[in-house]
Amino acid sequence: MFVFVVRRAVVSFFIVLASTALMYVLVALSGNPLKDLLEYNGPGREARIAARTAALNLDVPIPGRYVLWLQEVGTCVAPGGDECTLGLDRKLRPVLPQLDVALGSTMRLVIAATVLALLLGVVTGVVTALRQYSTFDYSVTFIAFLCFSLPVFWVSTLLKQYIAIDLNTWLQDPQMTYASIGLLGLVAGLIWTIVIGGDARRRLVVAAVAAAATSGTLIVLLNVGWFRRPALGIAGIAVSALVLAFLWSALFAGLRPRTRPVLYASLATAVAGTIVVALAQPLMAEMTWLTFGALVLVLIALGLGIGYLVGGHTRRLAMQISAVTAVSVVVLMSVDQLMRAYPALFKATGGRPMATTGSQTANLNGTFWESNLDLGLHLALPTLAIMLISFASYTRYTRASMLDVMNQDYVRTARAKGLNERTVVVRHTFRNALIPLATLVAFDFAGVLGGAVVTETVFGWSGMGKLFTSGLSNIDPNPVMAFFLVTAVATVLFNMLADIAYAYLDPRIRLR
Amino acid sequence: MTDLRNDLPDDGPAIELAMGTLVTLDDDLAEVDVLAQQSVAARSSTQTVMRRFRQHRAAMSGFVVLVAIILLAFSSIGFGPVPGWWKLDFKIPMPLVDAGAPTLSVWPPSLGEHPFGQDNIGRDYFALTMKGAQQSLIIAFLVGIVGTVIGTVIGACAGYFRGWTEAVLMRLTDVMITIPLLAVAAVIAVSSKGLGGVWILGAFLGLVTWTGLARIVRGEFLSLREKEFVDAARSVGASSGRIIFRHILPNTIGVIIVAATLAISSAILLESALSFLGFGVQSPDTSLGQLINSYRSAMTTRPWLFWWPGLFIIAIALAVNFIGDGLRDAFDPRQDRVKA
Amino acid sequence: MAIETQAPDLRRAPEDTGPILEVRGLGVDFRVDGEWVMAARDVDFTIKPGEVLAVVGESGSGKSVSAMGILGLLPKNSRTVGSATLRGTELIGARPAALRAVRGNDVGLIFQEPMTALNPVLTNGFQVSEVLLSHQNISPAQARERAIELFRLVDLPNPEGRYDSYPHQLSGGQRQRVMIAMAIACDPVLLIADEPTTALDVTVQAEILDLLRTLHHRLDSAILLITHDMGVVADLADTVVVMKDGRVVESGPIRQVFSSPRQGYTRELLAAVPHLGAQIAAGQLVVREPAPGTAAVTAGLEDRAPAPVVPALDLRNLVLEYPSRGRTPAFRAVDDVSFSIAHGEVLGLVGESGSGKTTIGRAVVGLLPVASGSVSIGGTDVAGLSRRELRPLRRRSAIVFQDPAASLNPRMTIGESIGEPLFIHEKLRKAALDRRVEALLDQVQLPHAYRNRFPHELSGGQRQRVGIARALSLGPDLLVADEPTSALDVSVQAHVLELFQELQREQGFACLFISHDLAVVEILASRVAVLHRGKLAEIGTREEVLLHPREPYTRRLIAAAPVPDPDEQQTRRAGRAAALAAGADAED
Repeated sequence: MFVFVVRRAVVSFFIVLASTALMYVLVALSGNPLKDLLEYNGPGREARIAARTAALNLDVPIPGRYVLWLQEVGTCVAPGGDECTLGLDRKLRPVLPQLDVALGSTMRLVIAATVLALLLGVVTGVVTALRQYSTFDYSVTFIAFLCFSLPVFWVSTLLKQYIAIDLNTWLQDPQMTYASIGLLGLVAGLIWTIVIGGDARRRLVVAAVAAAATSGTLIVLLNVGWFRRPALGIAGIAVSALVLAFLWSALFAGLRPRTRPVLYASLATAVAGTIVVALAQPLMAEMTWLTFGALVLVLIALGLGIGYLVGGHTRRLAMQISAVTAVSVVVLMSVDQLMRAYPALFKATGGRPMATTGSQTANLNGTFWESNLDLGLHLALPTLAIMLISFASYTRYTRASMLDVMNQDYVRTARAKGLNERTVVVRHTFRNALIPLATLVAFDFAGVLGGAVVTETVFGWSGMGKLFTSGLSNIDPNPVMAFFLVTAVATVLFNMLADIAYAYLDPRIRLR
Repeated sequence: MTDLRNDLPDDGPAIELAMGTLVTLDDDLAEVDVLAQQSVAARSSTQTVMRRFRQHRAAMSGFVVLVAIILLAFSSIGFGPVPGWWKLDFKIPMPLVDAGAPTLSVWPPSLGEHPFGQDNIGRDYFALTMKGAQQSLIIAFLVGIVGTVIGTVIGACAGYFRGWTEAVLMRLTDVMITIPLLAVAAVIAVSSKGLGGVWILGAFLGLVTWTGLARIVRGEFLSLREKEFVDAARSVGASSGRIIFRHILPNTIGVIIVAATLAISSAILLESALSFLGFGVQSPDTSLGQLINSYRSAMTTRPWLFWWPGLFIIAIALAVNFIGDGLRDAFDPRQDRVKA
Repeated sequence: MAIETQAPDLRRAPEDTGPILEVRGLGVDFRVDGEWVMAARDVDFTIKPGEVLAVVGESGSGKSVSAMGILGLLPKNSRTVGSATLRGTELIGARPAALRAVRGNDVGLIFQEPMTALNPVLTNGFQVSEVLLSHQNISPAQARERAIELFRLVDLPNPEGRYDSYPHQLSGGQRQRVMIAMAIACDPVLLIADEPTTALDVTVQAEILDLLRTLHHRLDSAILLITHDMGVVADLADTVVVMKDGRVVESGPIRQVFSSPRQGYTRELLAAVPHLGAQIAAGQLVVREPAPGTAAVTAGLEDRAPAPVVPALDLRNLVLEYPSRGRTPAFRAVDDVSFSIAHGEVLGLVGESGSGKTTIGRAVVGLLPVASGSVSIGGTDVAGLSRRELRPLRRRSAIVFQDPAASLNPRMTIGESIGEPLFIHEKLRKAALDRRVEALLDQVQLPHAYRNRFPHELSGGQRQRVGIARALSLGPDLLVADEPTSALDVSVQAHVLELFQELQREQGFACLFISHDLAVVEILASRVAVLHRGKLAEIGTREEVLLHPREPYTRRLIAAAPVPDPDEQQTRRAGRAAALAAGADAED
């Protein structure tokens, strides 16, 4: 493993070297940074040309310039590199501080989009594969093709116009007519019918139940003013946690007598976790990342402990699933707290909480939850826009991979052993279907970064994309190269992680 | 496992699973296969592909839509010296009618004076959109063709000759995946700005979009060159050229056509994204992406300036994607195989 | 068509005399292109306790789908009708949960391909434990213990260590043992073995068959054996059901079916199976002592001109290596092999997988570089020649490949494939080429109209005829035949072998006939070379090698090959056990 990482680091170094060299030449050839000054006729023309030439080493031929740039990058890697600037831009400002700001917001965007797309895509892909040629399968296939065909910038603009702006307007006065409540109910009913499927009778029942539940919930929420002061509440956390605990046990352990302890352990974790969260309420107002981390660790330890005690001879599984349940409790707690922070944020943003520009509200100075909610709301739409294509490709790929594995001999063997369908799918099919996906993630990452360039432009983020587009249109090589340096390093890093995941999933592959 | 690995289309372990299916043919299915063969009358492979494609409803609709769009775009305002049937010119501003709103009506069906409306200085937006669609289609097909040719040649050489050709390509691929395509395309597009025209832009973009296809073709070549029919040709002394062009390439044609189709659909999105960012087609020239970019700020006042070019981009890309899917199924009856 | 059989011996307690599995009117159809296509129809058979029932048939006979249909293991585009009762419980149309309870618990399954039938990402041990855990209420620790016990039962070496290893770390035979351990984990009343030894080497096959027999005795379960191999049937079965095109042709006790088959098809099938020792015992050929050093002369070719001094093929200290790739070290596939083939002689090259036999064949026709030593074809050393230098020499040798489906370019017509060597070497075009192609099609007894067909429009046997026609198009002095019939059904194999013999007699080419099947080699070859792990173990005339093998490996190989005759096979088995016991120390 260690040898592998070192080997890969060396190889990656050369890849980054080659990739930056290639891009350096291309960027250098894309225009003369002195162009505007050469056309400029005002005073101090010569001095400014000389200053920029010196700053950007324009008197050196391109290969030499690249070496100088490399030296500059080298000082950042070398210990005690205070001089590190990653070069100067055309206004003679160092690039590094600009990059610092940009990097954080873009990585947030890219990683959120990748993770969400992966999770949703894989789940959808699995379900479509299991229900091949169902209405759900066809709908998802069509949606995936639509996503493949959507221009990111166009979707971003649409989202901004119709989701953000109109939603904000609605949130000012969250009211709905009974007609629209009924309509939403019908839509929900239709969606659930397609997702769940089954024979005609079951479809009707599902549609009716889903429509009634959706409309009913909406009426209740509207009447108690939930959209103004949303929250889950301890009761909400408890119920959701129990449902999730049941779901995880059913999915990963099954509900046979032999694995009953797993179910008990995870249910107990859900209850105990909710109690811990309730007791920790006083902490919430003063939450920092440190206390949050501590709380997470406490809850996971609680889950592991309960799993250990209750697990019996399925101890390991019980501990794993209880820990997953504990994490679910953390997520629920966070959702609850973020919702509670909403009224304050609503006020701070002047009643327009859905952000349309920038990566965070300036001068917010809110609490832990308020600023995180703010970040989250800023992320939501750009993430959605970038996600679509990745989501589509993960869905299609997972589906194809699952169908492929389902035809393998060893899946037939698993059936021949009399294993139940859940075990066949989760343990024998899904695990193998995940393997080729690891590589796709690595390949997709650069694509997502490209998408980020577009969405950042639409949503007015000052991230890496902005650095790149403004650098490129102003013929300003160093910020552009900073962009390429970061993307190259991030991609090789992601690639290495993907390979490690690959080796973890597939015992036939040894990391050497 | 060791002999299987030689067939792997990639150094990365990714394709191993996909290859697994190619190799296994279990007894049951083999028996069914035999039965299926008995029931199907002998047909040539091209006919079979055509038949399967025609039976693919989504692909056929995609095909019809694409042909319709191409005909509409090129016949309406004409192309080059050939005049079209649409009366208005896309360059000439006219007095605004009804604040430039579209006059297209579905029922009763009528086009009206300006079916797609007018832009802020009164130019006919139907003519503009058609011009943009022409330009986008030209770029997309150009990128598709250039990328496919380069990708095929490089992939074929790398897969067949191995050795340094392959090493160079593989290292190049490693390097290329670290660079977002959109970004490198933007840099290339900016470089080609001075040279002018959509033709140059299309050709230049083709220079950076071949890597995916080269990988796929290389993978196909790597597995096909180990096939016994290639050994058979080699054992009678067939030259490398003959083996590549007569034996291997015809067997990869399906994969190449599918990849080329999908390359066209991603090219149209790439072009529009570049133009949107201001790096692609430059005013006064126009394209669908450039139109959206120009009228971005008019979104609230004249939304149709945003909708029409967007819908055309989606319609073209979706149609091409469905055609690609249909072709894949037609060429490879084992549906839903993992794409490498 | 009920089968009246008696269990061949009465070792079983008589109280449970009801049948284990009773199949009546079983039918399986598949939905292909919107139509139902019949795969099996009206299949009847009964398995009594302790009985081994073999269902035999060629590919497409519906033997495998019938068995899978009984357990509901067919793909979704299939339907199964009729009745199959396992100890009185109906299985066809049973609820999925009920079928699951039967599978793995009451019925154990063993599949053909041990390489793909085990999940690559789970440990061997876990895959066995899993069966126990899902059918019995025991703890993982107990399951582990039991799994290791099972590994011991199936003679897997180092059972504890194997528990945590992965399938890819085992050999084919070991994987099949894991598969068997999995199948017998819950003491099933019935074991369904679907071609359990087809993918294995003959010595491994013999071991697995022994294991199945031992387990059958020990565990008291009935076995439903599905196979195409008459030798395996003769070795293991008590009762035989012969299937063809989805229907049962004949069934009955093994000795009756083998000695006096009632149906024509069964007779043909049995006649087509090569029987090791039949040729020699029948004494059809008069064999002379081979001239010292080089060639043996076969009786059938008496009238030919005396063998020239220069042999058709001469290998001297041949070493072949697969070069190192990346961090995989170079692999020496063939190590210091020398032999020669006289003009007009057929040499059988026998060995198990990995012995290097195919590698030699490919090196002879210039498809693989020679690491050291020499390969002389008609006196010219081809080792180390460049492509250009090699080109004129390619006319002298030709190769027929194992898999007729893979060795023809799917996008070229049959005529183009056959004509390609003529196109390249004799620069024949159009009408002249057509005439020669037609002549070649005549030789391999295919209609001229086939010239314009594509390979997928031909059957396996026809494709192999095309392969032979292509190899003979330039009239080579030396033909390398690399397992040309092993991908074919026995009846087709018999026809192709017949054609091959005829052509060899007519054209008198020398032939390096590579095969894993001693019985096939016995039919064709006058001399036999045995290859073991890249080295030449033994070489001599057919009679010397087959009747009086000098090397223990050869003896084991011969002893392991099952013959399609139950009585003879029984004797051979006893002999083999004795030889194994005796030769255990002599071997290593």
